Amino acid sequence: MLEDQSNVKAWMYLLPALILLGIFIFFPIFNAIFLVFVRDYNYQTGQFQGFTLTENFRYVVQDHNFRMAMTNTMLLTFVSVPVSVIIALLISVWLNAIKKLQGFFQTVFFLPYVTNAIAIGMAFAFMFNRSYGLINWVLGFFGVAPINWVNLGASWGHAIFSLLVYVTWLGLAFKIMVFLSGLQGIDKQYYDAARVDSASRSRVFRRITVPLLSPMIMYITVTSFIGAFKAYTEVIGMFGERLGPPGNDRALITVVALVYRSLDRSGVPGALSEAAAASLILFAVTLVFTIINMQVSKKRVHY
Amino acid sequence: MEEAVYGNEKQIKRKQMIRLGVVYAFIIFFAIFIIIPFYWMVITALKIESDVFTSPPILWIGLNPFNWAWENFPAALEQAPFLRFTLNTVVVAIIATIGTVITTILSAFAFARLNFKGRDILFMAFIATMMIPGEIFVITNFITVSRLGWVTLNQTYFDALLAMTIPFMTSIFYIFFLRQAFKTIPDELYYAAKVDGKTDWQYLWRVMVPIAIPTLTTITILNAMNTWNAYIWPRLVTMEEEYRLVSNGLRDAFDDTAGRVMYHEQMAAAIIVTVPLIIAFILLKKYIMRGVSRSGIKG
Amino acid sequence: MEITLKNLTKVFQSKKEEETVAVNNLDIVIPSGTLTGLLGPSGCGKSTTLYMISGLLRPTQGEIYFGNENVTPVPPEERGIGLVFQNYALYPHMTVRQNILFPLENVKMDKEEALEKAQEIADLVGIGHLMNRKPKQLSGGQQQRVAIARALVKSPRVLLLDEPLSNLDARLRLQTREEIKRIQRETGITTIFVTHDQEEAMSISDEIVVLREGVTQQVGRPQEVYDKPHNLFVAKFLGTPPINIFDARIENNRLMIGDANIMKFEGKDQEVTIGIRPEGFKMVEKSSFQVEVEFVETIGRDTTLIIKHPNDESKRFRAIVDADFGVEPGDTVKFNVKPHKLHVFNKETGEVL
Repeated sequence: MLEDQSNVKAWMYLLPALILLGIFIFFPIFNAIFLVFVRDYNYQTGQFQGFTLTENFRYVVQDHNFRMAMTNTMLLTFVSVPVSVIIALLISVWLNAIKKLQGFFQTVFFLPYVTNAIAIGMAFAFMFNRSYGLINWVLGFFGVAPINWVNLGASWGHAIFSLLVYVTWLGLAFKIMVFLSGLQGIDKQYYDAARVDSASRSRVFRRITVPLLSPMIMYITVTSFIGAFKAYTEVIGMFGERLGPPGNDRALITVVALVYRSLDRSGVPGALSEAAAASLILFAVTLVFTIINMQVSKKRVHY
Repeated sequence: MEEAVYGNEKQIKRKQMIRLGVVYAFIIFFAIFIIIPFYWMVITALKIESDVFTSPPILWIGLNPFNWAWENFPAALEQAPFLRFTLNTVVVAIIATIGTVITTILSAFAFARLNFKGRDILFMAFIATMMIPGEIFVITNFITVSRLGWVTLNQTYFDALLAMTIPFMTSIFYIFFLRQAFKTIPDELYYAAKVDGKTDWQYLWRVMVPIAIPTLTTITILNAMNTWNAYIWPRLVTMEEEYRLVSNGLRDAFDDTAGRVMYHEQMAAAIIVTVPLIIAFILLKKYIMRGVSRSGIKG
Repeated sequence: MEITLKNLTKVFQSKKEEETVAVNNLDIVIPSGTLTGLLGPSGCGKSTTLYMISGLLRPTQGEIYFGNENVTPVPPEERGIGLVFQNYALYPHMTVRQNILFPLENVKMDKEEALEKAQEIADLVGIGHLMNRKPKQLSGGQQQRVAIARALVKSPRVLLLDEPLSNLDARLRLQTREEIKRIQRETGITTIFVTHDQEEAMSISDEIVVLREGVTQQVGRPQEVYDKPHNLFVAKFLGTPPINIFDARIENNRLMIGDANIMKFEGKDQEVTIGIRPEGFKMVEKSSFQVEVEFVETIGRDTTLIIKHPNDESKRFRAIVDADFGVEPGDTVKFNVKPHKLHVFNKETGEVL
């Protein structure tokens, strides 16, 4: 209708956003690729020593921290996501079944989402304190001797376990919200029809509720994996910049943490290229798993 | 006459009650699981030092508020200039949010209402970038803000503010979100305004924006919350402690490097940082949850 | 399977302590093997009754019998009923075949046998060739047949349909109601359907139950209910075009509208309401019933005369006459009324006299 001068006008409206996005979103994408393929880049002078195809990648992969980071990231992702998805699914099914107080509990379960990951991380760290923490006290009832989870000299195994608990806990809120709204969106008539057809409760759950909920489940699974691969702030929350228990520094380093450590050394020529390389590797890994995820889900998801 | 109740009717009712009871039990169990860290945070913050370092831990601090260690809070505030950090955070939040809201309104308007060549391609490009992890941007953005002279050894407060706000003056996610809201406004309103001789600019600000206030509120709140929780970027681009934001202050003040951590003060600080969010949540629950459910990302 | 409703009552309580009596003491027997329509305007309690028969709603009072068995305390899954929802409620994530098989999964049946049964029923309702499709790939009419198939596959004692035709477009409606009749004939299952469309109910039901505000108005075969309405409501509800209502009186054993002598009628002198079916007017040369024609509608076969109402200048009534008479607007015509097309009702209660 009123199209022709719309062109110019529209681009005028978009201009502020485009400028900002151009500088801070689009340019960085290309620049990251550039960084990955240059050698000894000095960001302050803009000088570098030629191009390279794999040197930056090799540097990153050969860093012994990288192996640790990959392990931690993978472990965090593949343990915390399934566990929190399952728990969240159960909780939302239960929440959906109660009428009174549903709103109240919804608020309770959503609290972790709105709080500061660092503040709560600190609380968790103290909960896992060897001498004064809640966890060891509870374990004491089961006859378990106090474990050093996060304090001086704690082992990687214990530390990452406590981190897993924290990350899983943190992840519940959002999932519960999405699942609950999905469950509430299922037309009650399906349940009436199933009732007339004498379907048992477990059958109704398996053959009707879960399939009708499957789009949400897939969405949550995919986005949770992507988010878990980026774990970093949670580690800072529990362990601070040290990224591990005292005496076991960087035990819980993640790939993203690696990227930021390189950024801290930005003055060193080539450090930024390492950061870029590490983040690209992470992106690639995330992409691969996301595709796998979506392929697997395709078979199970019904729209 | 009473409704007829037969033998197995009562049984069924009882089974239902038991089932409901079990469900409540599980929910309460997990609710406790969720609440415990908060509870732990709160009671630790209100304990005196000697009560903190006890084993077994003290789980109940009594119902008398006068017995609670309120002095932890001022002590916590001394550990780090929290007031300063809060001020910084508020300033950054305001600037970034105003910038974001304006650019978002303009862009969402363009996408939602105007027809222009390349609109769909551009939109697709925008969406595609949402899938790329943030770290990739951070690296270059760091270079960019440094080159712009905002991150130098003699960084001024103003420089730091610029570095912390300008990169975040727009967000594809919010543009997407607002565009959806704009799209629900019927075309007829636009045509009616045109017939009345209104320009696009007037239509945007007099009609669309007022209608979209709930969505804009959500965006503002989410943006503010993200600024409050921001840690990584502020830390990266500030050269002086005192330019930093609240989350940085919290973490840095209680680093467990040397000696014992004053947990009670640490928890008090944690509460100081957390409480504003919780209050905001309780008051603005509707807006926050709407924003989250439409998208899935905190921002 | 004969269905008996005894004193069936349903009272709904809203949050504000308000009570709505949706169904009020229904006492009805539905003969075995028939197609019965529950007919009435919205809010008359017909769907509520249907859902009580299904068991998804518990009656506040009263009993329901399938044959000799009191099924009131029996939950829906054990009553042996098939229910077709107004919106079909087909499981969107399952194929047609899976939808139809679903009820059989909950009964111990051999897989082979179940598949055969499903195919058989699907063929019966006419969707046997669509077994692999998903509901959203089907048209409205096809979806409904799947819903019917799903209800029939477990050989229910009773088949219940909630407003089966209301979601279909006009053309499909005609076709589908014949289908429903055919399916019911072939299976012989006692079938009850709910509708607010009297033409629908009239065309296919073996029996009609007319309901209004939760109370039975009349039960009987369609022609019977049409020809011999028990009260004014039933007379007005059934028939297209609707029956014409006049204020009249009985005087000296004659029915009079104004000064017009309509016909002989025995009864006390009183004011009454009469209804005359549009097809009940015969044009004659001499009669005291004289009226002025305002408009004429010809549809080829019949002519409808739109006539100024004798009671009220601003109202009109309709008479259907043969096209041969060549009436023009403005003409005055004289009528005799066919006695069996005229019904006299008590002015206050509406009951037929």
